[in-house]
Amino acid sequence: MRGLIELWGVFVSTIAGMIRGGRPKGEIVRQMHAIGNKSMLFIAVTLGFIGMVMIYQACMQFNRVTGDLSQVGVQFIRLVTSDFAPTLTGMMLATRVGAGIAAEIGSMKVTEQVDALRMSGVLPVDYLIVPRFIASVVMTVVLTTLGGAIMYVAGGLTAHYQFGVNLKIFFDLSLLNPAHLSLGLVKAVTYGAAIPVVSGFCGLRAKGSSEGVGWATTAAVIGSSLAVLLLDFILSVAGFFVLGEALR
Amino acid sequence: MSDAPPPAARPVIEFRGVAKAFGDKQVLRDLSLDVRKGEVLFIIGTSGVGKSVTIKHLIGLLGVDAGEIWFDGKRVDTLREPELAPIRKRIGMVFQNSTLFDSMTLAENVALPLRKHQGMRQKKALVEARRRLDQVYMSEFADRYPAELSDGMRKRAAIARTLTLQPEVVLFDEPTTGLDPVNARRIDRLIRELSGGQGVTSVVVSHDLTSIFSIADRIAFIYQGAVRALGSRDEIRASDDPVVQQFIQGQSSGPMETPGF
Ligand SMILES: Nc1ncnc2c1ncn2[C@@H]1O[C@H](COP(=O)(O)OP(=O)(O)OP(=O)(O)O)[C@@H](O)[C@H]1O
Ligand SMILES: [Mg+2]
Repeated sequence: MRGLIELWGVFVSTIAGMIRGGRPKGEIVRQMHAIGNKSMLFIAVTLGFIGMVMIYQACMQFNRVTGDLSQVGVQFIRLVTSDFAPTLTGMMLATRVGAGIAAEIGSMKVTEQVDALRMSGVLPVDYLIVPRFIASVVMTVVLTTLGGAIMYVAGGLTAHYQFGVNLKIFFDLSLLNPAHLSLGLVKAVTYGAAIPVVSGFCGLRAKGSSEGVGWATTAAVIGSSLAVLLLDFILSVAGFFVLGEALR
Repeated sequence: MSDAPPPAARPVIEFRGVAKAFGDKQVLRDLSLDVRKGEVLFIIGTSGVGKSVTIKHLIGLLGVDAGEIWFDGKRVDTLREPELAPIRKRIGMVFQNSTLFDSMTLAENVALPLRKHQGMRQKKALVEARRRLDQVYMSEFADRYPAELSDGMRKRAAIARTLTLQPEVVLFDEPTTGLDPVNARRIDRLIRELSGGQGVTSVVVSHDLTSIFSIADRIAFIYQGAVRALGSRDEIRASDDPVVQQFIQGQSSGPMETPGF
């Protein structure tokens, strides 16, 4: 419980730090590059394959029941934008980016670099978490868009080549409405914000030596993944209440 | 303890009955210690006894569980993070691990406190940083990253970074550990010069018996969360406390209880 309050404190001071400014120059770009580089290929491949598998399964089932595959693409893009793309991307970033952030900040903590920052008159959150926070929010949205697009295309090609679904019919976007897009965007932004805050918090709590860093890294991966799942649930329910009919 | 001595005789730093635990591990129990202006005070004790913890309290990097800490007539243990900034300008710390920031060059490392504490512009701070590095004979490495340097060089750069703000008190956490004897004695001389020439007060945590017995004005021996012995070099050397004797003679067996062994 105290941990949750402290976690909230880190979030609040991250937001305050964003407004305050005073972070090192070029650090955001460096972090965006680190996050993007580390995860782009990984996310593209994973989401592409999951898209293929999902469409394959869906078409098999539809074939057995009705044989009408015309709705598969239309339903698929709605699910991809409102949930699959952001949540799968979020889960993957939680492990890769979360572990990286916790390990980096954790080792700075145990080697007293965080203390040295405080002595130099710097708030560690400003220097260490704020740049990663901004970079992570931006890159999560970017990677979600990319991953979603790849997932959609991979699914469409599977439907076309394996099940003979007309590409025009599959890639029909007419039933996709702003509600799906905005729910997906809100999710991506929220995960992008949660991962660095949770992982940075775990890193700052690392103590002892390299063992403490390992512990912080594990905690960060578990914590960020759980945060993504929990936020997915909360946002999906909230989205249902707020957007209601538009999501149908 | 409550009736304070007249201001003139008042020590710069006072620890009064400080206690600190991490979880269920009681590190400091009842630690009281005065540091006089301009002296070189050594804090000695076995590994893990809480020497680093003790000095970190003084600059608010750790908070006390009980007790009070005073610096120059002001209580510091109750200050909040933003209020500590002026204290951290006046008290510098050289950390045990050198702790230069990996992502910055030496010059940028040294420039950081100038920018943050004195609001100096980056360009001017970098020029100033080079001047400070020159003082510790490190100016040719100004554009290198810490990972490219040896331990001794990092330590010197870290000292330069700490001295940039011209602090009144410098806390050295094991400044000579891991250095070769030549570099270790150079650091000793630097500490001595600081307190002689510029009236800087130094608090030095160390296991290095050579530096302890060559440059200390007074020595505080910490044992089981409190100051067990305090005195000049000669007084400590002549101490009849068997625990102190075991430590300064470096005997592996004796009355001293060392947690973890
Ligand atoms: N932030 C912290 N969280 C939890 N425990 C800590 C923390 N800092 C120090 N400790 C514990 O407090 C004890 C004293 O640590 P400290 O670093 O002060 O020892 P030390 O006397 O400086 O030893 P050394 O000579 O090895 O540096 C150790 O057992 C350490 O594990
Ligand atoms: Mg120590």
